[in-house]
Amino acid sequence: MTYLASEQSTHAQRLVRFGVVVALSFCALFTRLAYLQTARFEELSAVASANYTKHERLFGERGAIYDREGRVLAENRVAFDLLITPREVREPEPLIEGITPLLKLDRLGQLELRELLNSSDRSARNHPTMIARDLQHTQVSALEDLNVKVGGLSIQVKQQRTYPEGEIGAHVVGYLGRPTLKELKSRDLAPSEMVGRFGVERLYDNLLRGEHGYRRFVVNARGQAQHEGWAKEASDEISTLKAPSAGQDIYLTIDSRAQRLAYEALEGYESGAIVVMDPRTGALLASVSKPGFDPNMWSGRLTADAKRAIDENPYHPMLDKSVKSYFPGSIYKVVTALAAMEEGILDPEQPIDSPGAYEYGNRVFHCHKRSGHGHVDLNGAMAASADVYFYKLGEKMGIDTLAVYGRQFGFGEPLLKINGESAGVVPTRAYHEEHSRGGFQHGLSLSSAIGQGAVRTSPLQMAVAFSALANHGVVYRPQLLLKSAKLKMSLMEGPPTDDQAAQLLERYHPEVIRRLPASAAHIQRVRRSLERAVNDPKRATGYRGAASMGRVAGKTGTAQVKTIVRGYRRLAEQRWEHRDHAWFASFAPYESPKLTVVVFLEHGGSGGKDAAPIARKVIEGFHQEVEPIFESHARLELFSGARR
Amino acid sequence: MSRTHWVLLSSSLSLMVVSVWNLHATTGLGAEGVARAQLVWLGVGGLLALMVSVIEYHTLRRLAPALYTMSLIALALVLFIGKRVNGSQRWLDFGAFTVQPSEPAKVALILALAAWLAAQPRPRGYALPDLIPVAVIMGAPMFLIFREPDLGHTLMMFFIGATMMSYERMRRKTVVGGLIAAIIGAPIAWTFALKSYQKERILTLIDGRADHLGAGWQSRQAEVAVGSGGLLGKGHGLGSQVAGGFLPENHTDFVFAKLCEEQGLLGGAFVLVLYLALILSILYTAMTARDRFGALICLGVAALLFWHVFMNIGMVLGLLPVTGVTLPLMSYGGSSVVTTILALGLVFNVHSKRHVF
Repeated sequence: MTYLASEQSTHAQRLVRFGVVVALSFCALFTRLAYLQTARFEELSAVASANYTKHERLFGERGAIYDREGRVLAENRVAFDLLITPREVREPEPLIEGITPLLKLDRLGQLELRELLNSSDRSARNHPTMIARDLQHTQVSALEDLNVKVGGLSIQVKQQRTYPEGEIGAHVVGYLGRPTLKELKSRDLAPSEMVGRFGVERLYDNLLRGEHGYRRFVVNARGQAQHEGWAKEASDEISTLKAPSAGQDIYLTIDSRAQRLAYEALEGYESGAIVVMDPRTGALLASVSKPGFDPNMWSGRLTADAKRAIDENPYHPMLDKSVKSYFPGSIYKVVTALAAMEEGILDPEQPIDSPGAYEYGNRVFHCHKRSGHGHVDLNGAMAASADVYFYKLGEKMGIDTLAVYGRQFGFGEPLLKINGESAGVVPTRAYHEEHSRGGFQHGLSLSSAIGQGAVRTSPLQMAVAFSALANHGVVYRPQLLLKSAKLKMSLMEGPPTDDQAAQLLERYHPEVIRRLPASAAHIQRVRRSLERAVNDPKRATGYRGAASMGRVAGKTGTAQVKTIVRGYRRLAEQRWEHRDHAWFASFAPYESPKLTVVVFLEHGGSGGKDAAPIARKVIEGFHQEVEPIFESHARLELFSGARR
Repeated sequence: MSRTHWVLLSSSLSLMVVSVWNLHATTGLGAEGVARAQLVWLGVGGLLALMVSVIEYHTLRRLAPALYTMSLIALALVLFIGKRVNGSQRWLDFGAFTVQPSEPAKVALILALAAWLAAQPRPRGYALPDLIPVAVIMGAPMFLIFREPDLGHTLMMFFIGATMMSYERMRRKTVVGGLIAAIIGAPIAWTFALKSYQKERILTLIDGRADHLGAGWQSRQAEVAVGSGGLLGKGHGLGSQVAGGFLPENHTDFVFAKLCEEQGLLGGAFVLVLYLALILSILYTAMTARDRFGALICLGVAALLFWHVFMNIGMVLGLLPVTGVTLPLMSYGGSSVVTTILALGLVFNVHSKRHVF
């Protein structure tokens, strides 16, 4: 069968036509090839090297937090997590079978695991997926045995923050959390890293957190490090290591025994705070807030149930009440008394008539005791907390003069900036003009004088103010940081010499904010009235705060939150949020104070009945269990008292 | 031995040597020993080709319908008892090895179509109804392959058949009718016939590979491998994209990317030249063939090689969508290698009979 004659001529033409198509197509392929390998060589080489370059952040270990004597408040322990890389699993079903009893997987868990193992997604197969966190040691060894059989399992070791004191130190020590998106942008943080979220963990995050290091090396598509063969040249070129440096260990002024003592003293009250301070330095010895929460959970795995329980708790466990501000009530009378003497309008020895009510303008200002106190001097007025005595001082001085002294004590400004500390309010005429309905009225001078009206202070500020009275006039900034260690002691060979220790440790010193602008005699006069307020045999409202082993000075405060019609004031009948705030602020021993204790019970009832006994517990407990603060002959009195 | 014959032989042998040498550097990630296996397949293919090249012409022509029928049976079998890999069913499992029937089916189609066209000379050109038997011959294997699913080979069948038809004369009405059918058929095929991943691959190519982890990922990695090879390449076995495992399928569908990464523009261009020489020499063989049957066989084989090379390299260079089309002789795989050499054996057969009348 040969070609037909008519086709003979077109036969070659048609084949040549296809040959031309072929040749042109090859030209196109060659052009594209040359374009990629010349014009785009640089760009695509960079992509290729980005493919095999792995930049891994290394984290420095976070510093530990100790109390003043080196007791652990926060430290790191090793935790083990289980990861599974599906493509390395040799036997999926035996894996699921073996892992189920170890992790106590339910049916759903098994299903999810099977889905992961059978996943066809490339990146899911190649990369380790977190299966379980914080395994027990027995689980870890069983899983390692299982891995020999089935493959694909790996154990990741990491640092887990722990707080041995649990909820007792929760607010002051704080907890950690993952950085927010905003923080990731503004600070040099990695998404997997934990940062201080609350308390000291947040306040001193910069000291505690180490410096990042990094490691750069060559990996294959599965993320495994490569050094030989194709990777050799690249590896030699890019491999680098910068070791991370650990954060500093810090020592707080907190004494964990005092902290525990204070927390336990609040037993029976739902909500409140206690601040214990050394009035000689401003050092915080204890700072508790109730209800507490478990920081171990917040820094680790917070279950949805636990989170909901906290969210729904009406007493707001996540608020640090030691730095939130509330009506102080009668405690604020110390400011009124000192201001009035300094302004020369008060002779403290001159008895003043203090009836049960005082008419001012078109309003009647009542005393908490409706029958009144008769004629009392400063001691009597302070001891009995005679309201009208102070109304009169407030009326004479005016709100602005009172405010000047209030601010000198440290009220109205944040002092430590921890846990969203409130500044509180020291009201002035201008303040009321701006914030109060109806603007300023002169009656507000009167209510401010007894710590009502718009006055708000935090327990921490109150501790600073009472410390200033205790130490005869020095207003210290609250101190929380005692020292920080630049190097881990454990890394050194042998114990450090004194010289080394001095170099390695940075000590932080008390900071004086100011001296009270008042004469020593006037300050002493207020101190004496506070001593009477606890120890006056007839009048003392704070007698329940008196310690058996020595003299305590202090002042009660029962701050009205809601005006209540007479006759309905029985505590049990009121809703919690309508009850009075109970305060007791004190220092001891009166002669040479070593301890300031402020007790605040949110809607806790009465300063004298509820708050004062708690302060007494803390003071006596501190003397007995932490450090003796009263002279020894005073202790003898305790024994004689006990016998009686 | 004529000059053409020499070019045909030397270019195909060179490609085989380059193939084994290129695969030899494949290390790690489950691809050890592919060079040796490829050598075995080349040997098997060579023996079969030797047999094919000496068979009597007329015998081939008589055998064509039988071979074609057998290929259809094999393709149908795949749909029922084929081995399923990555969601498509393309292989018959013989235990020791697997066979992809769509590969030899292309040779069967070439023979069948050549035999049919040679027996039906239409000096005044093809009218539309004349195309019906041709459409059936092409359509049957295409349909079966499409069901696997294997879009690449379906298209390949179509391109081979269409190229062979370009040798025939068409009436004007036929050309117009064909164009209209294509214009109407394309959107229908897009809507009803293509699977979503296939559409995605095509769209990926058009919208510039927005998604580097999805359909465009492979394509992107291939582009990076080729581009980073530069003029001279990174060295034998030293390509980070390939050896590091960033480019998957680097010994099968994307083997050209491996070559370009390691041997650079120099190596890539060399292989392109070899393919061009091979295809053009086959076309020259077609010109000198003693009859239409021989010429059509050669044209079919040239089309087979050309479309494979064009679609595969086009895919590697990011010009065409990702379809599982092999690079003849270079890609690792028995079915593809044996089929290609078998097809070359047919060309040698035609060449050696060119003076026999």
